[in-house]
Amino acid sequence: MQQKLAQLGGGAHALATQILGNADDAADAVQDAFTTVLSAPDSYDASKGPLRPWFMRVVRNRCLDMLRRRRPGEDSTELVRDPGPGPEQSLGKEQRSSVIRHAISVLPADKREIIVLRDYMDLSYAEIAEVLGIATGTVMSRLHRARLALKEALEIDGK
Amino acid sequence: MASRTNHIDQHVGELLSGYIDGELTQQERQRVDIHCESCAECHQLREELRNIRRDVGDARLSEIGEDNWREMMNDRTVQATRGIGWLLLIGGFLAVAGIGIYEFLTDPSVGLTEKLLVAVIYGGFTALFVSVLRQRLIERKSDKYKDVEI
Repeated sequence: MQQKLAQLGGGAHALATQILGNADDAADAVQDAFTTVLSAPDSYDASKGPLRPWFMRVVRNRCLDMLRRRRPGEDSTELVRDPGPGPEQSLGKEQRSSVIRHAISVLPADKREIIVLRDYMDLSYAEIAEVLGIATGTVMSRLHRARLALKEALEIDGK
Repeated sequence: MASRTNHIDQHVGELLSGYIDGELTQQERQRVDIHCESCAECHQLREELRNIRRDVGDARLSEIGEDNWREMMNDRTVQATRGIGWLLLIGGFLAVAGIGIYEFLTDPSVGLTEKLLVAVIYGGFTALFVSVLRQRLIERKSDKYKDVEI
């Protein structure tokens, strides 16, 4: 269980960062989720589905809980904007990665999380629906809107 | 479903995302294929979305590696001992406070007035504590995330 959860850490952290807007808070949320799950390993029932979407739901709910507890002044899910590629940054994969991070960072939280769930973590529509607690039929339209918004953000960055 | 199978001349919209994700039925895939053959706009959008999806998949969105998560999980011992620490601290404090109150109330050298004044102060603290506790319990009851399965 611990080994499998460690493998899910990166994706869970990416998701939590998109929800909370802060990588440090996101790490706390994922660690809390690990602690909760490992202290009650029987809470996961393998017969009801794979571990990954189940754990992502735990992480997401932990993030929502943290957002709810935030004081009004700090009640912001605006992602800390990625500065984008610097002039000294080499061309290629890392630069493209930085461009993507920046474009995602300007999107609203609900769009960021669905893009991460599908395009970064490769969850199926049914699994995304389970994580977000929405109907499977609405995943496609919501994801499409998010991708169009990301495309627009990338075009703005490219200008 | 009806909106997803409209007239062939209409843009296929969200079906493009379903297409690149492999989430469409064979009939829907055919519809997208046929439409994109005659619609340069949708054809281009499909390719752009496919590239964006690939780039997001390749991007590094988390800086924390698997080994770090494994180490963090091992820190559970620290968290567990912290919980036990709090429990012992609160339990010890309550025990000491209880003994102190008992000693104070049964001390014949302290007058009734002083005892009453101290009782009022402690009564105030207790009322505040109960009030906060009650509020927390009500919040917990109406917490929309309380059914979260973990």
